[in-house]
Amino acid sequence: MNITLKQDNNKKEINIEKSITIKELLKKEEIPLETVVVKKNNITVTEDELINDKDTIEVIRVIFGG
Amino acid sequence: MIFITTKCSICNKTPVIINCKYNGQKLCHTCFNNSIEKKVLQTIKKQKLITKGDKVLVALSGGKDSVALIKILNILKERRIIELEALTIDEGISGYRKEGVRIAKETTEKLGIKHHIVSFKEKYNFTIDSLMEKESKKEYPRHACTYCGVFRRQIFNQVARDINATKLATGHNLDDETQSIMMNYMEGNINNMVRIGYKTQSSDEKFTVKIKPLREIPEKELGLYVLENNFEVHFDGCPYARHSFRMEIGDFIREINQKHPTIMYSTLNGFEKIKPAIKEEFIKKENINKTHQTCSICGEPSSDTKCKACKFLDEIYDN
Repeated sequence: MNITLKQDNNKKEINIEKSITIKELLKKEEIPLETVVVKKNNITVTEDELINDKDTIEVIRVIFGG
Repeated sequence: MIFITTKCSICNKTPVIINCKYNGQKLCHTCFNNSIEKKVLQTIKKQKLITKGDKVLVALSGGKDSVALIKILNILKERRIIELEALTIDEGISGYRKEGVRIAKETTEKLGIKHHIVSFKEKYNFTIDSLMEKESKKEYPRHACTYCGVFRRQIFNQVARDINATKLATGHNLDDETQSIMMNYMEGNINNMVRIGYKTQSSDEKFTVKIKPLREIPEKELGLYVLENNFEVHFDGCPYARHSFRMEIGDFIREINQKHPTIMYSTLNGFEKIKPAIKEEFIKKENINKTHQTCSICGEPSSDTKCKACKFLDEIYDN
């Protein structure tokens, strides 16, 4: 499955073997869950949302931590 | 695989945009927005932060917290309960503050709120950037936050008094407050710790009462609130706040909050319970009931004959 990940004006394509949750994606990308709001295909979602093929995931950092 | 659609705990609608692990609520866009506004207005009422006829000056940086605060306080302005004005301070931090000032200006224009902008450059003839450049050459440089905090407080207080504001509202959120409690406890700074609260009052009339209506709202929820409402804000962090003790404590609390989602509320509520006892004991032992004085230079209230801002200004202008 191919998905698009957008964060801080950066965009990249990611290949994932199976459907994973937002929480699992953030962990894989080492993005702290507690500091971001996530949109899937322009709709705000929770960390339990499943990601599917061709989804666009936008990560918006709302808290600046270390 | 079986997919179970999560529904809003209040209205049963989908989609859910937040799962509040500290109370088990899952909320849709509308119920989330309502819950934030209701919670803030309840805090104001329960803690008696505002009374009818108050003139509230909002400290507006253009960041998510202060923009959310002014939008919510505007509900009280529209109900003709309060008068509202805003103050933005331009400390002179390149690549950071300019955007905040622009957003603050536009936000107040849209809401029809009188906006005051005061810059360090105009008032003191230096910027935080120029000050920190000089400071970096010293053997023991002070942190930017030390200067910034002192001068910002002086400006907030002076403007609040000049416009006859009865309350000064700041956007401190649950994360900020939990961090302050932990920081002061770990540093053993009981004097500062006992001053943390919903409302900061002084018996000196020259100090405007400071209020924190967002104190029970987690920082991440304020980020979500402004995004869901398409409010323009800037999310950048202050470049000088990086690597600060506050940031270390913030990272630590956020980390443990993932496993223990009620930790910030229990820290805040526990502190509120023990505060009166600490305050009483501390005042008795340390005799901090100092008499109020007036700064001989600027006339601002001070615990000494010269206030902290004027002491710093002496050092800055002498070098």
